[in-house]
Amino acid sequence: MDNLIQTERIQILEDKMLSAPRYASIEQARIITRVYQENEDLSVPKKRALSLKASLEQLEIGVEPEELIVGNRTKGVRYGVVFPESGCSWVNQEFETLPTRPQDKFLVRDEDIQEFRESIYPYWNGRSMEDVIKQKYGKEINAIAKVVKINQKDHAQGHICPDSALWLKLGPRGLMEEAQQKLKTCDDSQKEFYECAIIVLEGACHFMMRYYHYIMDMLDEVDDEYKESLKGVAMICQNLSQRPPETFHEAVQSLWFLFVILHMESNASSFSPGRMDQYMYPYYQKDVESGKISQQDALEILECLWLKFNQIVYLRNQNSAKYFAGFPIGFNIAIGGVDEQGHDTYNELSLLILRAQYHLGLPQPNLSVRLNKNSSHELMQEAIKVVARGSGMPQFFNDEAIINTMIEDLGIEEKDARNYAIVGCVELTTHGNNLGWSDAAMFNLNKALELTLNNGRCLLTNEQIGLDLGNMETYETFEDLEKAFQKQIDYFIEKMMKAEEVVEKAHQDCLPTAFLSTVIDDCLEKGLDVTKGGAKYNLSGIQMIQVANLADSLAAIKELIYDEKMISKHELLESLKADFQGHEITQTMLLNKAPKYGNDVQWVDDLGAKWAGYFRERMKDYTNYRGGPYHTGMYTVSAHVPMGENVGASPDGRNALQPLADGGMSPVYGRDMAGPTAVLKSVSRMKNSFTTNGGLLNMKFLPEFFKTETGMLKFENFLRAFVDLEVPHIQFNVVRREDLLDAKVHPEQHRSLTIRVAGYTAYFVELAGKLQDEIIERTAYEDI
Amino acid sequence: MKTSKALVFDIKRFAVHDGHGLRTTVFLKGCPLRCRWCQNPEGLSPKRKPVYFQNSCIHCRRCEQFAQKNQMKYDNDRPYLNPQYQGDFDNLIRACPSGAIRYDSEEYDIETLLKKIQEDQVFFRDDGGVTFSGGEPLMHGEFLFEILKRCQEVGIHTAIETTLYASLDLIKKILPYLDLIYIDLKVFDEIKHQEYTGVSSKIIKEHIAYVLKSEHKHKVIIRTPLIPTMTATEENIIAICQFLVDIDPEVQYELLNYNPLASAKYDLVEFEYGVDKQYKMFNQQQMQHFYDIVKAAGLKNLIIE
Repeated sequence: MDNLIQTERIQILEDKMLSAPRYASIEQARIITRVYQENEDLSVPKKRALSLKASLEQLEIGVEPEELIVGNRTKGVRYGVVFPESGCSWVNQEFETLPTRPQDKFLVRDEDIQEFRESIYPYWNGRSMEDVIKQKYGKEINAIAKVVKINQKDHAQGHICPDSALWLKLGPRGLMEEAQQKLKTCDDSQKEFYECAIIVLEGACHFMMRYYHYIMDMLDEVDDEYKESLKGVAMICQNLSQRPPETFHEAVQSLWFLFVILHMESNASSFSPGRMDQYMYPYYQKDVESGKISQQDALEILECLWLKFNQIVYLRNQNSAKYFAGFPIGFNIAIGGVDEQGHDTYNELSLLILRAQYHLGLPQPNLSVRLNKNSSHELMQEAIKVVARGSGMPQFFNDEAIINTMIEDLGIEEKDARNYAIVGCVELTTHGNNLGWSDAAMFNLNKALELTLNNGRCLLTNEQIGLDLGNMETYETFEDLEKAFQKQIDYFIEKMMKAEEVVEKAHQDCLPTAFLSTVIDDCLEKGLDVTKGGAKYNLSGIQMIQVANLADSLAAIKELIYDEKMISKHELLESLKADFQGHEITQTMLLNKAPKYGNDVQWVDDLGAKWAGYFRERMKDYTNYRGGPYHTGMYTVSAHVPMGENVGASPDGRNALQPLADGGMSPVYGRDMAGPTAVLKSVSRMKNSFTTNGGLLNMKFLPEFFKTETGMLKFENFLRAFVDLEVPHIQFNVVRREDLLDAKVHPEQHRSLTIRVAGYTAYFVELAGKLQDEIIERTAYEDI
Repeated sequence: MKTSKALVFDIKRFAVHDGHGLRTTVFLKGCPLRCRWCQNPEGLSPKRKPVYFQNSCIHCRRCEQFAQKNQMKYDNDRPYLNPQYQGDFDNLIRACPSGAIRYDSEEYDIETLLKKIQEDQVFFRDDGGVTFSGGEPLMHGEFLFEILKRCQEVGIHTAIETTLYASLDLIKKILPYLDLIYIDLKVFDEIKHQEYTGVSSKIIKEHIAYVLKSEHKHKVIIRTPLIPTMTATEENIIAICQFLVDIDPEVQYELLNYNPLASAKYDLVEFEYGVDKQYKMFNQQQMQHFYDIVKAAGLKNLIIE
């Protein structure tokens, strides 16, 4: 692999991409609005299908002469697409702020704002999904917002891994034929589903042909150097509109078309390709063995795809951009791991995928490596080489922690569990047959504790938001406090679940997704849209925020107040109310005199695990709107910062408004004093059932660690212990603090510096200052 | 021997410089040598002492409120602990909210220490394990013997960092329980050895010769820390190498680059750092010069990171 290079073509394309300005686009909103207006009497699914078809036929397209993989949903790269059906009230309010807001900025055109206000927004105001949810349940959702953040209120869910192998096998034509067959024999309730599927698949074929014509028209202007390859791309587009792919190049192009169209239909985050090294390998193997392409050719094609993964970003509202900062679009690719028989598997394509990441180091795809007890030394060392490059990738997932738990806790079939993939950041899914609804809500356990300690009142505003069960001074014993905490949690879970039902129903009513449904088993079979439960598996994932702070707070209360009586109950409550102003000794004691999560202190870790376990158990009392189970995750994306802004001073010694622990399973930064092995031990005390929706552990190492072969081998030992400890996930930022500080001052010199935020990688210079500081502060292990 | 105990002044997990693989290094307190450049001066004294970390102190004077007579005085906005005080300092340590006052070491019995080492056993894999360092671990003869035996029983690879400044009987007794032996040979000249380390080099050399002729010789790595003007001289390195070549030219040998950072630790001990502050780490070129000397002297197995 070491002799493979990054070609000039890739460098040209990367430069073009990174220097292109990023605009908000209303082009698709215009088309969708028109289709809706022209078809008022049709059903929502029909209108949705027709508007996707119209978009596929009409949206402006573009091609760069050097491209080997073509296609995007806007002509410009990295545009933010205004999508009216899911929500545009926020766009109406925030349009002008897009170029200046602190996180995820976009340029805007005045004429677009005007058109949006005059002819797009008026139609959608009151009709978009965002408005529907607001009218129905907005008040209730706001009332619990400091404890429970309900997600997916103004955009489609996404977070799904399509059955790419099926798409490659049949292509849009083949899928269309299936839908046509079904339509002949189906009952009336299924009819519309198949009709919609046929409409969008026709659109897909048309979309591919448009690229053929576009390229043929531009060919005369193209330099000789790239003319031949570009003409080849045109032929591929033509072929794919008529038949399934036959070559590796065709397969990669076909895969990219699939993802572009999925984004056009939903405008959602995290459509993930999953186990690409498995389902793409037959195409690769055939072409390489027959001498049709070389390894270097295959790598160049892959790198073109890698660039494409970076050309779709996702426009979020300002608040959401805080929680999901830096455009995590979640093209998650998982390589390695066990096969259906449970044997470790990887191939040359897995290694090429790592090489592409090694060369480019861009935020997308979000590259994941699945490890298990039998993972090969070769794959691990190649992966570690990429880790050492510092893009925060690949992240590692642990088959030993994940597969059995999926089977036992979620009732997933063994072959599906073994074939798990990752969507978005770290969300676990089966491959091609699962609407995981993994980002349903975030539950702030620390806010629930705060309310328990203070008569249900918010420490920041004194507002009554929770149950009044007493306060720190009235709980005779630690067990009394725990009982009250339990009731407080139950209260908010109940409210959260009601909100979830409203949100899911709104998605069914407003955002059916015919195209997506054609590539999720068993929607085509059942004739049922994926939002309505057409998938084989229907899960909903709630994130527990943040067990690290919670464990630290409870440990401090137990040890310093109840057991050792070093601080009085009255003093603790007063100091929290005062945000420790005038109570510095108390704060210092809270910080230093009680052990903290992340230091391999079993009873502290167990306290965290106890409450995560309690929460996880409660999920079993509920069934989601599609009839599937709820489960839990421990990851925050970048939400530990805004979630912290909702929480007053906490008994772990943290000041009001300060960020919570990052990641999800990571200790609070600066409190893990016993090194990375102790962190892994602590984290391993979180049961695997807590993280069937995904867990996230962040670690920061300095580049020196990887300088020698010995260092790389020691790192492999560390990862193998990670596997044995059954920690579900780990990722590493390998970057020097000074480089980050310099990038803050001279962003222009660090345009391509990427950093692991939380389950995804973003351009460091594109993050808001507060988040940049937060990342710089994270503990680093500099010792090797 | 079950009640055997030792003072441990640090346990470092994820130690990656003290031998193969990922290791836990246990620092045993007390050392008969007084090397002028000692990297762990807090491990020299064999006694447990209370220490005060000014950086952690929040100057709340809580210690003063809880202090016994003669235990400490508060002056210049900080406590001064009285080393002559006869009782313990548990009260002050409990009172201090920031942990600025603590003991410099903790006493461990065999089973507690073994449990602590085993905390990271999953990380040791095939090549990692435990390393006993100090101080001079051989000062805890019986304890060391017991703990090494227990570690081997539970399948943990064992290493030691020692000067062999101890009785030969003890050395003979523990050799079978060690998998890797780092031996420091710092200064060859006897007079200079006494001047820089406070002890004679005679038995150190004898014991090195013994070990290198024993069946355990393949486990040994001899090391010389490069201290400017003291050990890092051509004569010294040549003399050490010739001494080793005469015994066994195949012996593994390593030069440790000078690390000036240790001087920061000397605020906490009643002992002065003996190397001039002006000296820095040796650069690559200087290191290469030393490597060339070693090779010219005929040592065949020089370890270069």
